[in-house]
Amino acid sequence: MNEVKMLLDELAAVCANPKAQLDAAVADGRKCVGVLPYFSPEELVYAAGMLPFGLWGAEMQANESKRYYPAFICSLLHTVLELGLKGALNDLSAIMVPICCDSLKGFGANWKYGVGEAVPVIDVAWAENRKIPAGVEFTRSQFRKVLGQLEAIAGDRVSDAEIGASVAVYNENRAALRAFSAAAARRPEAVSPTARCAAIKAGYFMDRAEHTEKLNALTAALAALPEQKWDGLRVVTTGILADSPALLRILEDNQIAVVGDQIAQESVNFRVDTPVTDDPVEGIAQRLGQVEGCSVLFDPGKQRGKELIELAKKVNADGILWVMTKFCDPEEYDYVPVKRMADAAGIPLLAVEVDQQMVNYEQARSAIEAFAEILRF
Amino acid sequence: MADIYTLGIDVGSTTSKCLILKNGTEIAASSLIPAGTGTSGPGRALAETLNDAGLKLEELAAVTATGYGRNTFEGADFVVSELSCHALGAAALMPGVRTVIDIGGQDAKVLRVSPAGRLERFLMNDKCAAGTGRFLEVMARVLETDVSQLAEMDEKAKGVVPISSTCTVFAESEVISQLAKNVDIRDLVAGIHASVAVRTAGLARRLGVTAPVGMTGGVARNAGVVRALEKELNAPIAVSPMAQLAGAYGAALYGFKKKEG
Repeated sequence: MNEVKMLLDELAAVCANPKAQLDAAVADGRKCVGVLPYFSPEELVYAAGMLPFGLWGAEMQANESKRYYPAFICSLLHTVLELGLKGALNDLSAIMVPICCDSLKGFGANWKYGVGEAVPVIDVAWAENRKIPAGVEFTRSQFRKVLGQLEAIAGDRVSDAEIGASVAVYNENRAALRAFSAAAARRPEAVSPTARCAAIKAGYFMDRAEHTEKLNALTAALAALPEQKWDGLRVVTTGILADSPALLRILEDNQIAVVGDQIAQESVNFRVDTPVTDDPVEGIAQRLGQVEGCSVLFDPGKQRGKELIELAKKVNADGILWVMTKFCDPEEYDYVPVKRMADAAGIPLLAVEVDQQMVNYEQARSAIEAFAEILRF
Repeated sequence: MADIYTLGIDVGSTTSKCLILKNGTEIAASSLIPAGTGTSGPGRALAETLNDAGLKLEELAAVTATGYGRNTFEGADFVVSELSCHALGAAALMPGVRTVIDIGGQDAKVLRVSPAGRLERFLMNDKCAAGTGRFLEVMARVLETDVSQLAEMDEKAKGVVPISSTCTVFAESEVISQLAKNVDIRDLVAGIHASVAVRTAGLARRLGVTAPVGMTGGVARNAGVVRALEKELNAPIAVSPMAQLAGAYGAALYGFKKKEG
């Protein structure tokens, strides 16, 4: 148990202070590139010898960003922009900005205007028709373009072999994340929702190889724990982010374990490996066509609900918790069909709206408590 | 066999409600103090109810706290969400009710209740005062009246002045604009009630309305809102004279059921 706790604490410490990771990498002479969600080709940054640094917003009040974005834009983008405007991200050599939702479309321009050349923007375009050959080819060509910009920042060419090696590191990390997620679901008494989230999220701020090492040790330590009965509830989460400390604490207060997820920041990012192909950049483009369960992805067959319900059944969840990012239109659109599918499957689903600028979670607490009471009956 | 007394306290955002049940059926005493969480309200409600029932705290089989301030109330044997308590209370006060609309001081909820009074599903309003008791208080202040007078004013309305916005701040501006046009205040009150009804009915439809429908919470005392909501939902709405105490009733009943096993 001590080893489990020690490793979880280490990863939680990384999450609690991502800036320290950034500072340490820069002090080591390693360039860092900010990576905004969703599905930016991180492997290319890593292949160029730089540290991909995840930008998933922060629990803070955004003030300056409101000069550039209206209040009804998600806090993820508000707070990343706020950090940029305050100079907290000036050590980044660039920032990769995908343009896959309406709010992200304006982010690059806002960043260029507000933050300026201190941290240049690399626009990342990928095909909405991500599965068809033409879509994969478009994404591949765009990612090659991104690679060119990364090479200019790194000051060196990046070979396909180096990209292939980076893909291998990322695939190993994804495998380690999947194994950890499964182990955590088997040991809810040892891995709280807060600890589970932090262990996963830490990877966005660490070298992925180092993260894999920690996760593998953690999974092995969890497997060595004696069996223990869990009397609490088991839920599957879905949404963009489920990393709010206050929200996770409410789950813990109500004896609710997260036994699986379909969260963009969590499993959605590691459920699918990058296929190993002759052209490794094409493999990264192909992966995008294989990922499901995220509202920013074109999903004409409504796979998200199907996948979510299958997951809930597979892990024997008592219910589904939709952590709704406030002002996220793609999430709101997805909610209606997914809720109907969950109802039809007889799986209770609760949506709780969360915002990184929220300070009062009492309404969420009431809703989660009532949900737990329904599930326990 | 000795009587079993259980107490439920509903610590709301603006009021504290307390009720003692005798053997899970008979109301031994109740009180309502217009001061909510973080004030002297919960303590006063507790003391007043115990006094009226002629009981001491130690004579109670169970104390159950619910409402916005449930987690800060000390001395509870059980702490239960107000949603479950309102479901339980409403089913006891209005037997057979399947949909409960609860509008309190600062939030609105729609509950689906099982025939046995169990909460099956629910929806809560967005974090916004529009459509809540607070909204009506703000409007009453603008109209230089008391919130308790709104129902009577609505009754005398000859028409309905539409209040299009459901945001409290914007609606206040709209009401002031209408006042500047010298519209009949009673018609304006009817418009304010219609505005609450439209917003609440939207929430109810999102959950799905199963008859019979009942209403709990402080706003249920406002017959104007109830009428507007009946019109909007095209369904009769049952209101118990104890509507505002439904949460406390449910909490006391919860304690009784727990003690009964």
